[in-house]
Amino acid sequence: MSDITLTVNGTKRTVSVESRRLLADVLRTEFDLAGVHIGCAHGACGCCTVDLDGQPRLSCLTFAVQCDGATINTVESLGGKQAEHPLQQAFKSEHGLQCGYCTPGFIMTLAPYVDEMVGRGEMPSDADIREAMSGNICRCTGYQGIVAAVRKAISDQIGKETTP
Amino acid sequence: MNGENPRQIGARVQRFEDTRLLTGSARYIDDIRLPNMLHLTIARSQMAHGKIVEIDTSMLEDSDFPTWVFTGEDTRGLALRAHQDYPEMQYSEQPLLALDTVRFVGDPVAAVLAEDPYLAEDAAELVFVDIDPLPVVATMDQARDSTVPPIFEGWKNNTFIERQMKGGDLEAARQAAAHVIKRTYRNQRQTGVPMECRGVVAHFNDADRVLTVWSSTQMPHLVRTYIAEELDLPESRIRVIAPDVGGGFGIKGQVFGEEVLVAWLALKTGRPVKWIEDRREHLIASIHARDHEHTLEAYVAADGTVLGLKADISVDVGAYSTYPFTAAGDPGMAAKVLPGPYTIGAYEATFRALASNKCPLGTYRGVARPSAVFSQERLMDEIAREIGMDPFEFRLKNIIRDFPYKNVLGFTYDPGSYAESLEKMQALLADDIAAASASKQSKDKRIGVGFACFIEQTAHGTPDFTRRRVPIETGYVAARVEMNPDGEVVIGLGLQSHGQGHETVMAQVAADALGIDPANVFVRHGDTLTSPYSVGTWGSRGGPLGGGAVHMASLQIADKLKAIAGHLLQAEAGDIILADGKAALANDPSRSIEIRKLARAALRNLDQVPEGMTPGLVAEFSLDGPKDGTYANAVHAAVVEIDVPTSKLTLKRFVVVEDCGTILNPMIVDGQVRGGVVQGIGSALLEHFVYDSEGQPLTTSFADYLMPLAPEIPDVEVHHIETPTPLTPLGAKGLGEGGAIGPAAAIANAVSDALGTEVASTPLNASAIWDLSAHLRSA
Repeated sequence: MSDITLTVNGTKRTVSVESRRLLADVLRTEFDLAGVHIGCAHGACGCCTVDLDGQPRLSCLTFAVQCDGATINTVESLGGKQAEHPLQQAFKSEHGLQCGYCTPGFIMTLAPYVDEMVGRGEMPSDADIREAMSGNICRCTGYQGIVAAVRKAISDQIGKETTP
Repeated sequence: MNGENPRQIGARVQRFEDTRLLTGSARYIDDIRLPNMLHLTIARSQMAHGKIVEIDTSMLEDSDFPTWVFTGEDTRGLALRAHQDYPEMQYSEQPLLALDTVRFVGDPVAAVLAEDPYLAEDAAELVFVDIDPLPVVATMDQARDSTVPPIFEGWKNNTFIERQMKGGDLEAARQAAAHVIKRTYRNQRQTGVPMECRGVVAHFNDADRVLTVWSSTQMPHLVRTYIAEELDLPESRIRVIAPDVGGGFGIKGQVFGEEVLVAWLALKTGRPVKWIEDRREHLIASIHARDHEHTLEAYVAADGTVLGLKADISVDVGAYSTYPFTAAGDPGMAAKVLPGPYTIGAYEATFRALASNKCPLGTYRGVARPSAVFSQERLMDEIAREIGMDPFEFRLKNIIRDFPYKNVLGFTYDPGSYAESLEKMQALLADDIAAASASKQSKDKRIGVGFACFIEQTAHGTPDFTRRRVPIETGYVAARVEMNPDGEVVIGLGLQSHGQGHETVMAQVAADALGIDPANVFVRHGDTLTSPYSVGTWGSRGGPLGGGAVHMASLQIADKLKAIAGHLLQAEAGDIILADGKAALANDPSRSIEIRKLARAALRNLDQVPEGMTPGLVAEFSLDGPKDGTYANAVHAAVVEIDVPTSKLTLKRFVVVEDCGTILNPMIVDGQVRGGVVQGIGSALLEHFVYDSEGQPLTTSFADYLMPLAPEIPDVEVHHIETPTPLTPLGAKGLGEGGAIGPAAAIANAVSDALGTEVASTPLNASAIWDLSAHLRSA
């Protein structure tokens, strides 16, 4: 067992974990974060994506002990209980989700992408948006609503047209 | 409709369930945690076929943590049984844990429990299973070969069942034919792959004798019935809850052995038990789908009229018959639907379910129809080519135009827009057809256009199941609608929503009938305690039957509200209209009363209701489907570009013209269509479960089992034609599955067009395209 200190969704805590425990499992069980979903546990579907020190990371391919001292944010921290983040709002209005299981992973992958585009004041092409989500599998939506949600989240913030 | 103007039905209402799903507040099966819970790992057969010599669990005794282990001897007598009541059906049952024999890689052998999921996996590794191999039935040809030993003792061959369907005079059609066209088509083994694997949690409360089972299922009531029958418990004491479910697509639309096993383990150990399937287990041992081979022979008159069709249908359904649709589900469905939207006057089908040492086959979005439409629509293109007709004109010549239409097997089709959809698609594709034609000059870059025209029997009622003699006898959906004293409404819905947006659509339906806002309707589903008995969410019946049941129950409450309003406003109940939260006189809207006041009267201030009225505002309605179902129709089209030197296929365009009757929520309809289409694209191009000659699965992770990712998928254009059906209360037809039915056929026809060669099978992956384009490279 190792003691590790994580700052998760703004709260710093030390937990004792076995070396083999996946970050995804530790976030789910020790931190009660049910928004971290495991879709494949072999790094291929993106469901478990969290923000680790500012980067989207697969928490099923990361051991918790690798993360001592890290800052981790999950979907729970993004827009509060009412889903107020512009990307969450856009997922709703553009029907970017159906069963919702892959959704936290998509959101945690795409929120930094949206922020980056907004920072540049740039509306990416659909092909670029699709490439940005190429590490995430959605089985319900056919992706189109998710692409539209990304476009809308960016355009709402930079005030440009939703179609590139 | 409620006779007045629909305001919510047909509106693009955003989904109420989204907030929960977007914030990590949803609770899926793996989020169910109970005190003192044990975690189950299932040790599964690593051999495709063999006799169990020994299961040695002695190493568990040395482990330094507590474990529990159970084998087939412990669960003897408990099994998954799925039999059709036909004398010729050969019977199979899958013990919850294997007894003597294993029949596919993944067959459950031992249940191993520990107090932590990691430890349960460690413990399962310590179970040693010695299996003597038996000859493996690994291919459809082996399964069809009567000299190959059967995989069940006492069977005469490896055919679960073989039957026939026929109608009309096929011999006369053959005699009259100017052209006879025969082809064989093949669709590969694949499955739905919801992003959430399956899982079950069970807890038995000894004091109250109540068993609670949480399962990631589409059919909680059927799970409850099966567990009750198998474990001999009263259904009244079993509560099955499907929490948030992370996708189903039909895969979770069966009862699984694990649901009974986990319940049994909770009873046996006296502790809550949890089982979460891992992805490898899901890919090898949940439910597979498709794996069809069809040989079709069409008899065509000189003018292009299809006079008759003969079909021979084989489906490799794997090692066991599955519950409740059985081994015959897929082949029977293929045989039933092959006449399709055409005026075929004579038809004969022989269909068989073949047993092999592979994962059992079950339902997946479309159920046999993607394969049937692939064969039918490939064949239609080949006939058109052979007789020199344009593929649109050829179909339009044979398309059904007069409704209701009684087809060759005696099924009655309700009104649809078959010809109109074809004509609309023809217009939409004009530029692509021209570009495809021009590309035929090139040997390197070819463009192809293909389309598929189909119908889908949806929301079929009890007689359809009776005919098939399957363990599920009916197809109804029920809803209980209750208005509370504050005017807020709660619906107990016998469906389970795993992405379909029932919490929103059903609120829209109730809101229109009751004249209130959908935000004031709370829809609960997926819980046997809070909803009346129903078959669950499958067979494209949520909208037409679930919506219909909510509508009918809501109207009963609306009638009562109107009666109270009439009483209080001193008017006739028939002159009252419910809208915008008020009951008002139709001819004098200034005379009105708030609906929430009527609710309070009905439930609390009974002195204000008409004399003799019973207290309360609750109504329940169970809605069975129409006898032959209601037929949705669609045309799907694909435009592909193939780079011949590299075999790279790019899907340039995918277009849908569909008719699902009344559209309840256009946003959700489009989402269902698009999601289904992209699964169909996966079927056409990528997804394939591969087994080797020993029955070992070679596609056991997402690195091998490939599904569509965002970059290779185009936007899916969806066009609607609305032909409301007279057969359901809202005019809605089913639409959840249709998206997945057409893509394999449309894409194969497009590839065939692009390369100028016949396509007979899927998946059309790069190596298939390479083989199909050889003639262009060598020329």
